[in-house]
Amino acid sequence: MIETAQTVCVAAPIGSVWNHVKDIRNWARLMPGLQDCTIIDGNDSRWVLKVGVGAMVRTVKVAVHVDQWDGPGRVLFSFKLQGDPVTGEGCYLAMPREDDTTNIQLSLQVSGTGPMAPMWEAMGGPLLPKFARAFAEQRAGGIEEAAGLAPRSQPTRMSWMASLSATLSKILRRLTGWRPAQASEARGQS
Amino acid sequence: MSVLRNLPEKWDAEVDIVAIGSGAGGLSAAITAHELGASALVIEKSDQVGGVTALSMGEVWVAGNHLASEAGIADSADEGYRYLQTLSMGYGNDLTVLNKVVHARHALKFFEEKIGLRMEVIKGCPDYYYKANPHGISEGRMLEAVPFPAAELGEWQGRTRLSPQMPYGMTHADIFDAGGSANLMKWDFGKMAERLARDERCLGPGLAAYFVKGALDRGIPLWTEASAEELIADGVRVVGARVRRDGQNVFVKANKGVVVAVSSYERRQDYNRTLGTQIDLGSMVFSSIDGANFRLAGPLGARIAKVPDITSLGFTIPGEEDEEGGPLWRTALGALGQPHTIVVNRQGKRFGNESFYRSFYYEVDRIDGGNQTHPNFPCWVILDSQGREKYPFISITPDQDWPEGFGVVADTLADLARMTGIDAAGLDETVARFNGYAEAGEDSEFGRGSHPWSGWMCGDPFHKPNANLGTLRNGPFYAVELKRMGGTAIPSTGLLTDHHSRVVGWDDAPIEGLYAAGNSVARMETGAVMQSGVSNARGMTYGWLAARHACGDPSPLLQQEAIRLGVI
Repeated sequence: MIETAQTVCVAAPIGSVWNHVKDIRNWARLMPGLQDCTIIDGNDSRWVLKVGVGAMVRTVKVAVHVDQWDGPGRVLFSFKLQGDPVTGEGCYLAMPREDDTTNIQLSLQVSGTGPMAPMWEAMGGPLLPKFARAFAEQRAGGIEEAAGLAPRSQPTRMSWMASLSATLSKILRRLTGWRPAQASEARGQS
Repeated sequence: MSVLRNLPEKWDAEVDIVAIGSGAGGLSAAITAHELGASALVIEKSDQVGGVTALSMGEVWVAGNHLASEAGIADSADEGYRYLQTLSMGYGNDLTVLNKVVHARHALKFFEEKIGLRMEVIKGCPDYYYKANPHGISEGRMLEAVPFPAAELGEWQGRTRLSPQMPYGMTHADIFDAGGSANLMKWDFGKMAERLARDERCLGPGLAAYFVKGALDRGIPLWTEASAEELIADGVRVVGARVRRDGQNVFVKANKGVVVAVSSYERRQDYNRTLGTQIDLGSMVFSSIDGANFRLAGPLGARIAKVPDITSLGFTIPGEEDEEGGPLWRTALGALGQPHTIVVNRQGKRFGNESFYRSFYYEVDRIDGGNQTHPNFPCWVILDSQGREKYPFISITPDQDWPEGFGVVADTLADLARMTGIDAAGLDETVARFNGYAEAGEDSEFGRGSHPWSGWMCGDPFHKPNANLGTLRNGPFYAVELKRMGGTAIPSTGLLTDHHSRVVGWDDAPIEGLYAAGNSVARMETGAVMQSGVSNARGMTYGWLAARHACGDPSPLLQQEAIRLGVI
């Protein structure tokens, strides 16, 4: 099993954060690499993502199930890659801060299953923290935008981007370029 | 012979050596120039350095090298020369063969000493033609880089190219000690995970990273997203280049020479057709491998040369993309020699030894002039559920679902034939005959599994009686149509150079100030057939030779060795 936990601070109170988080469509809209999202109901959805693995980009289909909506502080969910022997669990935590901002933490645990589990976990190891971080960052930005705050400053984003490999940066730049279409698609299909 | 005169009004930059291309060829030239007291600049068209070297398996073929000697392996440069000379079949040039063999071992030591390149013998890796050629050996000539800690590249870590196809978290030793590509399930993925987490690079990405680091350590500027558009000459010699950078023309003066090391032309279909006589090639290389060597050197009167070549086979798998957003091409080589697979044409007939691509691929483009067809193309790789359950089909592991829309799956061979358009009776007969070969462990028709290299590279060493032969009996059966592919930028046609890597003109005289290295150079040292590891070796060797000559230190070795061996 490989796991990661990434925390970012959102410049919004926990109530505003929860208003955004409680709608699964907002999760999909901010997922890095999202190509398509089908909302089945309030708890189940199917996501199609493009994920950078080393120097290649792979399209994966993910079935996501929310196990527990425990707002405003916690959401538990699980997921399974369709066609690949990979499953996982995740936890979203929101913690209010004294300055009326909110720390949100995204924890992911991913497990390969079957005889090739070590390979899947080896390949996913370097990827998972970057992916979770990217999602948490985009999530925070999306919440702030929905709360009417100015977009996250470019230096903050660039500072974070600079810490990643250029490969991922390039992929993210591409994904950033796709975001408006993704959001539109996600809304349209929900 | 007078040459072009197209001097700019003013120069924007000035160095001694301009190396165009950032693979092993360009970087080795720049590093060597620096070591000889000259200044150098590397110009790279794409946004990452490392070139096609970084896309390769990272094998470096050096006959008579000191690492093999230290390991107690008997070999010599003379035997290496005889080996390549016979592979050449008269299409190459004996002096060029000797030039490569004589100098590669010295270039290797040079870079070991100067940039800290660390190589080791790939144990158990035979020459392609070991046993089929009296001068081939069972191991020792094929070298690979010791894993490179990419964090040492600093800000260039993310700008030094990785391979989307190669498992660069593993060395050859890791892969083949575990049973090779067929035995993916037996690999030590714990080791791979550690390497990937630390970004320790093996294979081609590791090899390329050593040279990038060597250039960085010397403060050699690496210009990325800078396209050399034109060479500049003063009527007598090449003296610089016009480079397109940040939307501007930048004229770079090269006091001692320009080294063209931009690989080949694989991403230009018109060049593939007219220079390589190959049609509609898929490619594993990035889009800037577009034949700039010809466009740069052509106006100077550079001569080109061609050797016989093959068309590779491969495919794209739905859901896989390269960094540029195109379909990710994968070579089929690894799958074609695994047990429980065969390749057939429309008639359902096998047409060669699938496990030895340097033989098999010559059949792909065979033309039947009588009816204007390629009798062996299109073709399909067929496998049964034994193969599917035991082995990866390139990137599709046994525990993954077979990708939707990829090939054809059917419960019976007859259905598979119907769904693909393959002649059913022919396929049935072929499979029955092949199963007999598989059970006997000997393919009396095409000799599949007879080359030790085939067993090592794409066979299953644990599969008996033959590592490359397994029956096709159990449904469901799978068929994947194979597409033509280029040879990972190892071309049939390139610039003709002399033995100091100077590009020569149609008058056979060197064009002063103009050098070439790597896959930009015609393969006159391999001729008819190829040996893996020669391309990376010629990259570092010819870049080294070019810079030595340009900087006033030309190698005298060829003359001595040629006389000793009676080649001249």
